[in-house]
Amino acid sequence: MKKIVIVAIMLIAGGIFLLTTIASDASTYATFQDAKDSGKRVKIAGQLAKDKEMVYNPEKDPNYFSFFIKDTDGEEKKVILAAAKPQDFELSEQIVVTGEMQGEDFYATDLLMKCPSKYKDEEIYIKGEQ
Amino acid sequence: MNEIQYIGEHLLPGRLGHMALILAFVSGLLAAISYYFATNKRGTIEENNWKTIGRYAFIVHGLSIFAVIGVIFFIMTKQYYEYQYVWAHVSEDLPYQYIFSAFWEGQEGSFLLWLFWHIILGWILMVKGKQWEAPVLSVLAFVQVFIVSMILGVYVGFGGEAIKIGANPLLLLRDTMAAPIFAQADYVTQIKGNGLNPLLQNYWMTIHPPTLFLGFASTVIPFCFAIAGLWTRQHKAWLKPALPWALFSGAILGLGILMGGAWAYEALTFGGYWAWDPVENMSLVPWLILIAGIHTNLIAKTTGHSIRTTYIFYILTFIFIIYSTFLTRSGILGDTSVHAFTEMGLEWQLVSFLLTFTILPFALFLARMKGVESPRNEESSASKEFWMFIGTLVLLFSAVMITASTSLPVFNKIVQFFNPLFEGRVITDPVPHYNKYQLWIAVFMALLTGFAQFLRFKERNWKNHLKKFSIHMGIALVLATLLSLVTMTWIETNIWQYTVLLFSGWFTAVANLDYMITFLRGRLKLAGSAFSHLGFGLMLIGIIASGVNQRVISSNPFMMEGLIQSTGDESLRNNVMLIKDSPMLMEGYRVTYQSDTIEQFTRTYTVNFQKLDEEGNVSEEFNVYPNILYNKEFKEIAAYNPSTRHYLHKDIFTHISALPQVEMDFEYRRQREDSLNYKLYELPADGGAILFNDSLKIEQPDTTLIYPYRAFLVGINRNPSHPDYEPQPEDLAISAKIGIQRMDEDSVFYVEPVLVLRGQLLISYPEQVNEIISKVRLNEQIFNRVFTLEDQLEYETFTFKQGDQIEYKGKSIQFAGFNRQPKHPNYAAEEGDIAVSAIMSVQDENGRGTTAQPVFFIRNNQPFNIKAELPSVGLHFRFVKIDPANDSVDIMIAESKEELSDIPVEIATDSKRSDWIVMAAIEFPGINLFWLGTLLMLFGLTIAMWFRISSLKARN
Repeated sequence: MKKIVIVAIMLIAGGIFLLTTIASDASTYATFQDAKDSGKRVKIAGQLAKDKEMVYNPEKDPNYFSFFIKDTDGEEKKVILAAAKPQDFELSEQIVVTGEMQGEDFYATDLLMKCPSKYKDEEIYIKGEQ
Repeated sequence: MNEIQYIGEHLLPGRLGHMALILAFVSGLLAAISYYFATNKRGTIEENNWKTIGRYAFIVHGLSIFAVIGVIFFIMTKQYYEYQYVWAHVSEDLPYQYIFSAFWEGQEGSFLLWLFWHIILGWILMVKGKQWEAPVLSVLAFVQVFIVSMILGVYVGFGGEAIKIGANPLLLLRDTMAAPIFAQADYVTQIKGNGLNPLLQNYWMTIHPPTLFLGFASTVIPFCFAIAGLWTRQHKAWLKPALPWALFSGAILGLGILMGGAWAYEALTFGGYWAWDPVENMSLVPWLILIAGIHTNLIAKTTGHSIRTTYIFYILTFIFIIYSTFLTRSGILGDTSVHAFTEMGLEWQLVSFLLTFTILPFALFLARMKGVESPRNEESSASKEFWMFIGTLVLLFSAVMITASTSLPVFNKIVQFFNPLFEGRVITDPVPHYNKYQLWIAVFMALLTGFAQFLRFKERNWKNHLKKFSIHMGIALVLATLLSLVTMTWIETNIWQYTVLLFSGWFTAVANLDYMITFLRGRLKLAGSAFSHLGFGLMLIGIIASGVNQRVISSNPFMMEGLIQSTGDESLRNNVMLIKDSPMLMEGYRVTYQSDTIEQFTRTYTVNFQKLDEEGNVSEEFNVYPNILYNKEFKEIAAYNPSTRHYLHKDIFTHISALPQVEMDFEYRRQREDSLNYKLYELPADGGAILFNDSLKIEQPDTTLIYPYRAFLVGINRNPSHPDYEPQPEDLAISAKIGIQRMDEDSVFYVEPVLVLRGQLLISYPEQVNEIISKVRLNEQIFNRVFTLEDQLEYETFTFKQGDQIEYKGKSIQFAGFNRQPKHPNYAAEEGDIAVSAIMSVQDENGRGTTAQPVFFIRNNQPFNIKAELPSVGLHFRFVKIDPANDSVDIMIAESKEELSDIPVEIATDSKRSDWIVMAAIEFPGINLFWLGTLLMLFGLTIAMWFRISSLKARN
């Protein structure tokens, strides 16, 4: 057999092996209960609980932002992000946070917001109505 | 229902544009077909006829697309908001230089940009393509037909249903959405545009999309050549003309991707140039495969091996361009990417585009594969082509890995189609996930590009070459080790994998530099590959330096000392609060927020950095100017723009992360002003102090503190100035300088709030004392106290002739003449009025001059006069009579009574401080190595392209 073919087969084999490991880096969106049970880093997709308070008080700590989200099971928990409050946070609906549970709170290190697109198809601005 | 006859719409451009679109579609199809026949009937008499038709069709196609683009630009510059595309992307206040950005902000515009580049490239090939013109342009025109169909906007009846083909960029707003405003016939005059997303209002948005789309567009040319080669069974001949195009494409696509990274780094607050975002990944993947294709193309051209692989790579490159288009434009990435386009309802069209250009080329390839000849001899395992080929497989491998992970949302959709209960999967932490595979691929590629450079094509005499090869490898190994050790004193690679990557980066850099010097002896035009691979090495070192060693400067010193409690991951905490004029020490810098200025919607902050040496002396000082962009209503912040201090060996990157609510939302600021707990105090005119207590509610612990305060009047000023106050001639303005002290602190703070009466409008300019969170403003009663009421004035009447001058209470007053077009805020001219004002020049005790113009007028045979007041000198004038016989006028003059009275002020002691910013500052060491490395890679590709073009010419 040609050497190149051998190398190619090796690469493909290695590739298939690595592709299977993608599965280990991937998981489904978790709930707060899953996060509590597993104790691992997870991704939670939830709705921002707009009626609950959002705390960002830079005078006290510019790297502390807390808010509440409701996960897919309907459970509401406080999420703490060690960063400044992201721009347009109030507008977001769906929020994806990555992190882990510590006690009763979820400590997020990463946050992705899905905002209803602000600049598109929202409303027709009427002149002189500012 | 009655059709409304709309007024003021411009329908002609839309109709012309749509006609041009349809013409572009039809002529594109005609060009594809004609060139098809020109190819299949080559060598016959018919060939030239078909070719001529193809040419004209393609020229018409190009001109039609240009016309569409022209129409859209026209309606955009004219701001015809009745068109949806104009309404969505343009606004009155959009600066003119962003009209291009607004054009390609939307999907339709970016499709047109793509088409535009295809046309330019196609026209070049029409002139330069020679025997390849017909097959290449046939394929290209076929591609164009597909892309034009995306914006065609035609409905085709299909059974009972109409199927939409493409989204027309020239649709009217009223056809795309229902809104009550469209019930009005003249709605056009009432709507205004949405404008360009402020995040995109910078020069990157002007240069990045055209470059990236030229990169995207140019990948079609090697693809067309590959199809042409298969089609005409000239498996070898196409390799030479395709190579410069592939190199061009590699350089431009690379540049486009790099600009995206530079944009993210320079103008956005991502804090990096690469985030493994799906959109970034899917532009990198075609580039990786294209680079693999360039290498096999070189092998194939030189040795005759790897022709089939070259076909596959060039075809795959284009397939991945379409796949990337599909991912970013179908909305499928929604959850996982921050910058995908919004949906346009073109999913099925994009899928059929993708499937067509996957199935047809591969079917053709399978049909022709047998006929592709390759040399009998296998590549020697010591030959350059062998290891280059391995390298291309690794590149492909890298591309496959990235694609597989990025395509998880697609995988989810497909599985969910068969099993709706399936829960979609996501990668928990994308960045480490990608890094851990790509790191080893990079190590392998770096070592490969280092040693393969010294191997020879078609190696037949390895034994002789081995010695030379070993010497150079030895040099590279030793130098790379030394340099790695040196580098590690500067940047820490505390994880061994990074040390390996650092070494391999140096290895390829050293080896290629050596190759350039000893083998090429500085012959630049041959050095394309050496430059590229040197660049690759430097890029890796730069990635390690700036990525692994980035250091947060803006860490909070209090937290380090354990004074405040920490939450979560320390590395994330990169914001500090800076109070104006209060220096803060952090990581060897003394950082001070000094000032800020607003210009239009941009507010720029000046933050001073002083680098301190060990003795605490300032060794270096510089300012950064991060800014924020308000939205149109000043109600929120549309963009935070970073500011970076560049050095040769590092960057200091800063951006604002948060501001006080009152500075972010001016609407809120007004509400906040109203909700403050202002209380009225009377300050004695003699400067005597008053004492008062006020309570302050604090949150933690939930309680109320009572503070004693002291306040006193320093003086009043009738010609006040205030940074926010722009005086107008008729204003009645006053300010009071007030001292205020909270008794728990020693300092007395002085403020000078201003109150202005402009016609009927009362405008207050309060003053904030941040140190004791108090706010002071003047009560409107101050006007009655300070300015004398009319009935208390004691007027004296003087008779003037023009030029007469009198002395009155120490001031000299002269009647300078008449003004027959009098202007006075309280005088509104009516028809039949006879009106005139007297110009009274006043010089006060200090020799300062002002002018008053009291008005006299006759209306309905009745004489009237309107007084003029000079608050600054305390004089009042009335023009009461004209005596034409004596050429004289009567003027009444009075002086304000300066009675000392108490000054009413309002003080709120619960006004939160608003003189701070939250800022992040991060140091990126060695980031210039990254930019240098990537630019060298592209430079290498460009040199190689020129070399290939000139050798093509030399051959002819």
